[in-house]
Amino acid sequence: MKFDVVITGGGLSGLVAGTALAKARRKVAIISSGQSALHFCSGSFGLLGKAGGKTLESPLAGIELLPPTHPYRKMGAEATGAYADAAPLLFAEAGITLKGTSRANHRHLSPLGKLRSSWLTMGDFMTFSGERPPMKDCVIVNFEGFLDFYPSYLADGLGALGVRCRTASVKIEAVERLRRSSGEMRAASVARLLRGEALEELAIEINKVCGDADTVFIPAVIGFDSEEHLQRLRRMVGVPLYCVPVTPMSVTGHRAQQLLRHRFGQLGGTYLLGDSAVAAHMNADGSVRAIETASLCDDYLEADRFILAGGGIFSRGIVAAPHKIYEPLFGLDVQATDDRDRWFDADFFARQPYMSFGVATDAAFHPLRGGSAVENLYAAGAVLGGADPLTEESGAGIAITTALHVADLIINS
Amino acid sequence: MVFLKFFERRQLVIQIFLCNFEAQNTIMLNNTQLLKEYDVVIIGAGATGAGTARDCAMRGLRTLLVERFDFTAGATGRNHGLLHSGARYAVTDRESATECIEENMILRRIARHCVEPTGGLFVTLPEDDLGYQSTFIDACRAAGIDARAIDPAEALRMEPSVNPAITGAVTVPDGAVDPFRLTTANVVDAKLHGADVLTYHCVEELIKEGDRVRGVRLRRQGSQELFDIRSRLVINAGGIWGHGIAAMAGININMFPAKGALLIFGHRVNNVVINRCRKPADADILVPGDTISLIGTTSSRVPYDAVDRMDVTQEEVDILLREGMKIAPALAYTRILRAYSGVRPLIASDDDPSGRSISRGIVCFDHAARDSVEGMITISGGKLMTYRLMAEQAADMACRKLGVEAACRTAELPLPGSEEEPKPEKKRFRKSHIIELSTNQLAAKGRHGTLSGDIDFSRDSDDALVCECERVTAAETDYAINRLEVNNLVNLRRRTRLGMGTCQGSICACRASAMLARSFGNDVALADLASFINERWKGMRPVGWGQTLVEANFSAWIYQGVCGLAPGKTDTSAL
Repeated sequence: MKFDVVITGGGLSGLVAGTALAKARRKVAIISSGQSALHFCSGSFGLLGKAGGKTLESPLAGIELLPPTHPYRKMGAEATGAYADAAPLLFAEAGITLKGTSRANHRHLSPLGKLRSSWLTMGDFMTFSGERPPMKDCVIVNFEGFLDFYPSYLADGLGALGVRCRTASVKIEAVERLRRSSGEMRAASVARLLRGEALEELAIEINKVCGDADTVFIPAVIGFDSEEHLQRLRRMVGVPLYCVPVTPMSVTGHRAQQLLRHRFGQLGGTYLLGDSAVAAHMNADGSVRAIETASLCDDYLEADRFILAGGGIFSRGIVAAPHKIYEPLFGLDVQATDDRDRWFDADFFARQPYMSFGVATDAAFHPLRGGSAVENLYAAGAVLGGADPLTEESGAGIAITTALHVADLIINS
Repeated sequence: MVFLKFFERRQLVIQIFLCNFEAQNTIMLNNTQLLKEYDVVIIGAGATGAGTARDCAMRGLRTLLVERFDFTAGATGRNHGLLHSGARYAVTDRESATECIEENMILRRIARHCVEPTGGLFVTLPEDDLGYQSTFIDACRAAGIDARAIDPAEALRMEPSVNPAITGAVTVPDGAVDPFRLTTANVVDAKLHGADVLTYHCVEELIKEGDRVRGVRLRRQGSQELFDIRSRLVINAGGIWGHGIAAMAGININMFPAKGALLIFGHRVNNVVINRCRKPADADILVPGDTISLIGTTSSRVPYDAVDRMDVTQEEVDILLREGMKIAPALAYTRILRAYSGVRPLIASDDDPSGRSISRGIVCFDHAARDSVEGMITISGGKLMTYRLMAEQAADMACRKLGVEAACRTAELPLPGSEEEPKPEKKRFRKSHIIELSTNQLAAKGRHGTLSGDIDFSRDSDDALVCECERVTAAETDYAINRLEVNNLVNLRRRTRLGMGTCQGSICACRASAMLARSFGNDVALADLASFINERWKGMRPVGWGQTLVEANFSAWIYQGVCGLAPGKTDTSAL
């Protein structure tokens, strides 16, 4: 099979690159093994929250503080900003509402009631700028027996911000039956049931416990496949209603994944779900000729250009063996050390060197293999080395902007 | 009349004092009202200390068990969990072998819910000398251990994970024992017999009157306040830390800390204990335990001042893996959950200060005879397998010194949880497929034995799973928090296995933390959550590659990224 571009990895960066290319009428295939980091995403995207030991109000202002090998530095602050600003439209076209801009980070609530800071946040969640959130008196509503939502931690967190909080729990007939099996009361199962009439029942129960509250918070378990369900619920509840992320898996992350994939398909893209790239076939000049996948056997995926978007260690785009860090598909050069004693900090909460491991690229995001750039291959997202996404709060930002950047490079070449 | 009033007032003052005293200690004391003077204070709640407390309390002594952290926080919680048949020591140490097989048979009776009679194999690999086998069998039989040579093909049928290249195999009555459950059951029984228990209380000083030890000066962890508990006798069961406790009385015990490292695999690779049939060496025992398998151990001398900072090194991990794969080749591609290490409290005999002849046997010192310090006993050496015997020896000595005549009954009476259950009544109705307990209740029964009947599963939400990997329900979590001296997530893990499974707490710790918060408050519970995650990381780090690193990475994204969790002011991860 012949495509213009073949992308390995169907997570955030692969889908964003694929969508941008398909919009530009390229024939694109994405190979996706299934679950990606996006499925666990809380619903907020960070562009850059911290750099050079500083907490940033404006993410773009921090780019110059990053090390020169950082993907943002390779693109430059201006280009990074331009790609960041192009992103919301691309998501909106897929049916995903995002709040926020690249000019200033906003705040939102974590599942434990801590304040987090992000660039874009899905419309389900409450965001605010400045010191205090825009409410005075809220009620935090949970489903009885749902253990992945922490009303008391949230109440403490909101209380510290000057918001009066009450907690309440509701029983919804449709959800109750999940309790027959002790491990079923989880976000994904609840979301599958909370639609149609069950939503009406939920709205009635919420209104009952709402009292004088000016805001309602519920766990983010509404709407697997579209935003429509939450919009319906909001219309039925008398006061503003927001979700708070729950601990995984993430319903909103799953929805974003679904909608992006759907959009990619609408644009004519080919999404090979449940397949995985098992080998890369190279030309004599060192460029990539084709990708062999597990399901298509000898029907190789040929293309003019390839994008490696397989993610980092979490997604196994980068693999850690006892004494070696490597990129498994192409055997690319990695920015990493093989000495295991230097991968970790003893403190879990300190910066962990292994999180910066990834492939090495030239300035145009061509990965290096044996020291020289692979000219028709590009790398995007978490597979890139040189960033520390967790500490920098830059994971989604890197995935989105580098994906748009390499798509641009391909379109303009 | 005046005198009476004075007396009443004094009573009142005492009562107020006791109330205050209770109020200050309610978190740790769990409604325990302390006596002003005990017959014995036992320091250290590992298996030995807990067993000694049980034994002393059963003999009617007024007993207090004091532990600076949690039960099993030392070597007890960091060993192999092997119910030794004694075969391992048969050739080199007959006395230990005999002790082991006797205690093995006793534990099968008194600690049924802590023991899994898996059976054991001693296998000869092609690189080992098959000639050793007959020496080994002879030595086993001489020690009273039922050892039988079997055809290697038969061994492979018994335990399919064993290396198919083995040239010889011997069956022995090895098994698995859960040290956490065993110790908890001993503590529970000690309390049932009237003993008081204080965890998270540090012995700061021994109270001395002349050459006589008269009690302990205690400090609750996290507090600066000191208070005295007097006792007629102090029993030092502090394991490797017993060295420091003896030093408080000016007594020197020649201890030689020996570090042993182990690896935990992500599932039960084997169902039968597999040993190498050779002289004891590194990494030659693979033990199944609940949901996992353990390979160990290494053995290395460590300086005494390093016993509180035992990190597993790359070299140790490599040795354990390399040797483990020889026993069970599947270990090469089985996920390693974590690595840990413990410190054996080996003691050199008194006439050999150089430490060349180190014993693994039991050491029970009456310091009055040995050091002219009255009122203190040290019980040390030995091993998990002989904890009950050690306790018996210490309690015997205590009774002798206190002039109490009472026989030891710990070998006969079952531990709480291991009592014989009444045979089920014949069903009057013919309902052939009634499921009496849910899977989760069965899991709880596996962990708590007959005591699981006290777990309240009456409400709908009780059966909800908190820890999916180990099937720990909300009901069992609540039971542990309320009944088993749980102050934090690490305690909870030791009582229930929560967080011990493949997710290493990524998913369940948050849920359990919210449940702990109901008893201890949100701030304490959140700081504890961060400590717990860090404690899990400590064990994952030495084996941080492959799936284990993926899991750790996931955990980092969830707790630091999504949740915004940061470490609190106090780190309880060392506890």
